[in-house]
Amino acid sequence: MTSFFTDIGQEIVSGIALGSIYALIALGFILIYKATEVVNFAQGELMMVGAYVNFFLIQTFTGSLGVPTIWTFLFGLLGSIIFAVIFGWFLDLVINRPMRDEPVFSIIMATISIGIVLRALVGLIAGPMSLVPPSPFGGAYIKLGGIIISVLDIFIIGSAIVLVSVFYYFFNKTRWGLAMQATSEDPIAAELMGVPVTRVYTLVWIFAAIVAAVSGVLLAPRATILDTNMGFLGLKAFPAAVLGGFGSIPGAIVGGVILGIIETISMGTLSFHFEWIKEINDIIVWIVLIAVLMIKPTGIMGTEEIKKV
Amino acid sequence: MKGRYQDENLKWIPALIALVILLPFILKGMTFSYKYYLYILNTIGIYIILTVGLDILSGYTGLISLGHAGFMAIGAYSSAILVDQVGLPFGLSLIISPIIAGLFGFIIGFPALRISGMYLGLTTMGFGFIIRRLIIALREWTQGSGGLVVSSPELFGFTIKGDWANYFLVWIFALLAIVASRRMMKSKIGRAFMAIRDSEQAAEASGINLAQYKMMSFFISGVFAGLAGVLMAHTNHFISTDHFDNMLSIYFIIMVLVGGMGSIYGAVLGTIFIVFLENLIVPVVEGWLHAMFQNEAGDIESLIFGLIMFLFIIFQPTGLYGMWLKIRIYWKLFPFNPKQRFT
Repeated sequence: MTSFFTDIGQEIVSGIALGSIYALIALGFILIYKATEVVNFAQGELMMVGAYVNFFLIQTFTGSLGVPTIWTFLFGLLGSIIFAVIFGWFLDLVINRPMRDEPVFSIIMATISIGIVLRALVGLIAGPMSLVPPSPFGGAYIKLGGIIISVLDIFIIGSAIVLVSVFYYFFNKTRWGLAMQATSEDPIAAELMGVPVTRVYTLVWIFAAIVAAVSGVLLAPRATILDTNMGFLGLKAFPAAVLGGFGSIPGAIVGGVILGIIETISMGTLSFHFEWIKEINDIIVWIVLIAVLMIKPTGIMGTEEIKKV
Repeated sequence: MKGRYQDENLKWIPALIALVILLPFILKGMTFSYKYYLYILNTIGIYIILTVGLDILSGYTGLISLGHAGFMAIGAYSSAILVDQVGLPFGLSLIISPIIAGLFGFIIGFPALRISGMYLGLTTMGFGFIIRRLIIALREWTQGSGGLVVSSPELFGFTIKGDWANYFLVWIFALLAIVASRRMMKSKIGRAFMAIRDSEQAAEASGINLAQYKMMSFFISGVFAGLAGVLMAHTNHFISTDHFDNMLSIYFIIMVLVGGMGSIYGAVLGTIFIVFLENLIVPVVEGWLHAMFQNEAGDIESLIFGLIMFLFIIFQPTGLYGMWLKIRIYWKLFPFNPKQRFT
């Protein structure tokens, strides 16, 4: 019986780590959605680009087979964040500005097309081989009453909590955050009140790109493999965001963690005890999504949106 | 007004039918590899049936679907199972299988009553993933991810086999789909769909039952996609879940977008354009670029498609059909064109 509880505990811990990554990806598009009402379907691809940039930076620092120390890792992270700033600005210029008053459908399709282009470009530049990203912590772990927690997982959970709280504070307390809220409420009124709407949009896209790059850098060593399919993982963060309540920053981490735990437990213990669960492992997040949308479309922490004619 | 539309509609159809009948013979006279072109034309015909249905859903009713390959898979697999394993005649399966796909559309229509925009996009995308997984899970009938071999169809005592027979089978239904959907969109149903797209509140205020018409739109779209799936299963003779992955759903949307949302001819044009691009132009470009990059198969193709889609959304949101309309108006008004309209 003890082994059963250790197994469950182990799965919950790794579920929280996986969920933290979902939360980080979800945070990226929630930021964009909160300020511009645009849903960015290319967030997963942004994450992938961040991971690739980080990988190549680390490779240039340490040589092709060198194991990075924590400092080279952080340096690589810094480099990919700088790249993300430029990239986010570029995306704002390319997608957001021309598409400002277009219908939702066109914007969704535009971001999807950007995602396709990014995936293809990265595939062309980086070559067809999958890469093996090194972990900065090696295989270091902590043992807590039979449950093994890797240092990388702790780092991931910690940075998710830090980033979510920073952005929560930023959105609700600072001047620029309030400007973003005003812009999302009504861009025209906000502009008349003196909010530099265009600059707010640019800033939001840059933030989203930074969050994506950080999540990519953290995810790559955890997944132990890096290829262009990593972009599809970004799609899985959508159910997380919807579960937490789309547009709610704390909702991202709540939804992400719940979804991560559901996924790991269904892959582990539940598959072990029930044969049929194995069949639906990789679509369980989508079943959760449809269930949430049927029962409570606003999610756990979302607020009801009232649309006026 | 009604009479004029009908005349315009009818004038096109004989020319279209004549073109469809003559095209394979012309191709046979022109090239030796006409069988390859026939295969491409078959693909175009099957995709046209689906994109027309998708256009009814997305272009006319304004509901997003990012999982339309799922409906196609349902049609394909149910027909393969009904004909080969249950033993129904193909003619009956041709009616039942699209209706099964349509019923699935009906089920997806339920959440669509409460949600819209990107939530609907996510739901339909999830639907696409779930259907693929479901097909693999029901491996007693579908052979799991290994794929399923499908027999040649028999209709009115004839066995339809070979590229020529397939071509005419597919294109009869493609023409029917084009004409039927044109008629439908000019009728009360089509006007109700467009009213819902333009403003749900206004449509409801004018006495349109939102729930009923949205479900109907999903049902019709599902039936078209299912029909495309049936034809694909029986002309390709082999189906597997890899044929219906989510990228295909995105490609269908690219076809509709490039052609022009909200016009049936637009969907047709877009499908022809994209399939020709995929089969005739992309291989050439891949040949050029192969020396430069160590590329994975499909990367250059998706790069081109992504770029085309993006450029169309930004610069030509009305698609190829919108371009054609502009040209037509230009020639109608010829020397008296206001300059600023055609920038």
